[in-house]
Amino acid sequence: MSRVQLKELRKSFGAVDVIKGVDLTIEPGEFCVFVGPSGCGKSTLLRMISGLEEQTSGVIEINGRDVSNVEPSERGIAMVFQNYALYPHLSVRENIGFGLSLARKPKTEIAQKVGKVAEILQLSDYLDRKPKELSGGQRQRVAIGRAIVRDPEVFLFDEPLSNLDAALRSQMRIELTDLHARLGATMIYVTHDQVEAMTMADKIVVLNGGRVEQVGSPMELYERPASPFVAEFIGSPKMNLYEGAVAQQLGANHAYGIRPEHLSVSETKGKWPVTVRHVERLGADTIVHLENDELGTIVARVEGSRAFRIGDKAFATPDPAREVRF
Amino acid sequence: MTRRQTITGLISMVVAFVLFVVPFLFVLINASKTAQDASQLDFSWPERWVFWENLVTTVQTRDYALLLAYWNSIVITVGAITLLVIFGAMVGYIVQRRPNRVTRIVYIITLSGLMIPPAVVPTIWLLQEINLFKTLHGMIFIQVAYGLGFTVLLYRNFIGTIPRELDEAAIIDGAKPWQVFFRVVLPLLKPVTVTIIVVQSITIFNDFTHPLYYLPGRDNITVQLTLYNFQSQFVSQMNLLFMNIMLITIPPLLVFIFFNRQIVAGMTSGAVKG
Repeated sequence: MSRVQLKELRKSFGAVDVIKGVDLTIEPGEFCVFVGPSGCGKSTLLRMISGLEEQTSGVIEINGRDVSNVEPSERGIAMVFQNYALYPHLSVRENIGFGLSLARKPKTEIAQKVGKVAEILQLSDYLDRKPKELSGGQRQRVAIGRAIVRDPEVFLFDEPLSNLDAALRSQMRIELTDLHARLGATMIYVTHDQVEAMTMADKIVVLNGGRVEQVGSPMELYERPASPFVAEFIGSPKMNLYEGAVAQQLGANHAYGIRPEHLSVSETKGKWPVTVRHVERLGADTIVHLENDELGTIVARVEGSRAFRIGDKAFATPDPAREVRF
Repeated sequence: MTRRQTITGLISMVVAFVLFVVPFLFVLINASKTAQDASQLDFSWPERWVFWENLVTTVQTRDYALLLAYWNSIVITVGAITLLVIFGAMVGYIVQRRPNRVTRIVYIITLSGLMIPPAVVPTIWLLQEINLFKTLHGMIFIQVAYGLGFTVLLYRNFIGTIPRELDEAAIIDGAKPWQVFFRVVLPLLKPVTVTIIVVQSITIFNDFTHPLYYLPGRDNITVQLTLYNFQSQFVSQMNLLFMNIMLITIPPLLVFIFFNRQIVAGMTSGAVKG
């Protein structure tokens, strides 16, 4: 378990600044998720922590040790790549034990460690197969096994689930959370999927344009977003955000936001008269897209049993306690 | 199969037979004739089969020059191929993985080796200057120099298809740069390496002109030059010449038959999702 500290970290590729000064502390044993839209620099930040990318300026400390100019293999980190990056010519056993064999560890020790990791990840039956003979989820587990066997202080995950299908993804989310609980190691996880961030993180770091937009627990970000960007990025469906004159009428300086689930829709009375434009039925919930003359489109989440039809007239009312003003 | 496919198939079989099999049969038949018979240079059946006698004579000629030539050619081919594979793969790897000004210049220089025709006389001067003229290792270096451009080109393009994440995963696993290359990248280059071994070894083994220029001398004879010697020494003994042709055609044929089935692609499938 180690603390990871980033101090004034910057990265430029030529004239382009990708990371524009990041200060961040990740506590020991924390599951920290970097989230943001593509191109926000989250992967670059992770690669700088891993040492695969050199920082332009700033300091990276792992467990109080300045590792800014230390080789990746000496930093006490392990990384799981988006494409798994398994060595195709080696068996699962050799893939997991590759780092140990490079370190010239005795064969018995390698076999014992690989066996233990394979047991944790339920890979024992596949140890002699080649990566191409495995399914996507199994490959992902091998990649995680290769990380675990290094016994690192910090685990780094670079969008590890984005190549899996939806069902497997939610299963792997649970497995990863279990793994984190079992190992208790510090984990840094990069994703563009806010659902992964919300479900897995102890701490979410929202990045935007090379800067940290907000840091906090999932519920903090959900309930008290620091900026319209975070408000819109966290939560699904997206928060309804209004800027300009309408926002000022609603008492905000420049932006007013209300989440779809914090709106009540009534056929008889309410704050904003609306027309139903579109209905998405999810079963338990129904997402209704409403049209208001002043605000434009309002998205609301209502109970699945409510019957709305396109063209219906209704009224939408925000929950005053849940309104967000910037 | 449609009628049209049958006809085009038959035509191509006939063309292939005339181009590839008929010359070989011609060589085989003439190699089995007596000297007098072979000097007619026609495609007739031998009057008398003297295949074995011709073979023995050809091998024994000039104090077993053919065996020495086999040895020399094999040394040159194996030596040059080994160096070509190692250096070609290493240069291709660096040029592909680290695009910067230096590697771009290196790549251009390597490719110019493909485009600029080599000058023979200055090369001989240079070889004499560094005491490599008339030596087998000098000949190996010449063959490496001629083949390197093509080899680097092939390796560079193939390495482009190997995901960079593999290198990075190995680096995080603690691999030094040379370990990344020899333990991760080189094993994945097998398909292109086989291609290079087949193409270059046949080229080098069958090379006539370069050994003629750069490797004169009785002891330095290579297989293709044995033909030359035969022609001047036994002008009227075409049967031995054809026997010689047949004997030196065998090794490249073996290489081709052996490796042809091994040219396999798709070693990298499974590295990334696929």
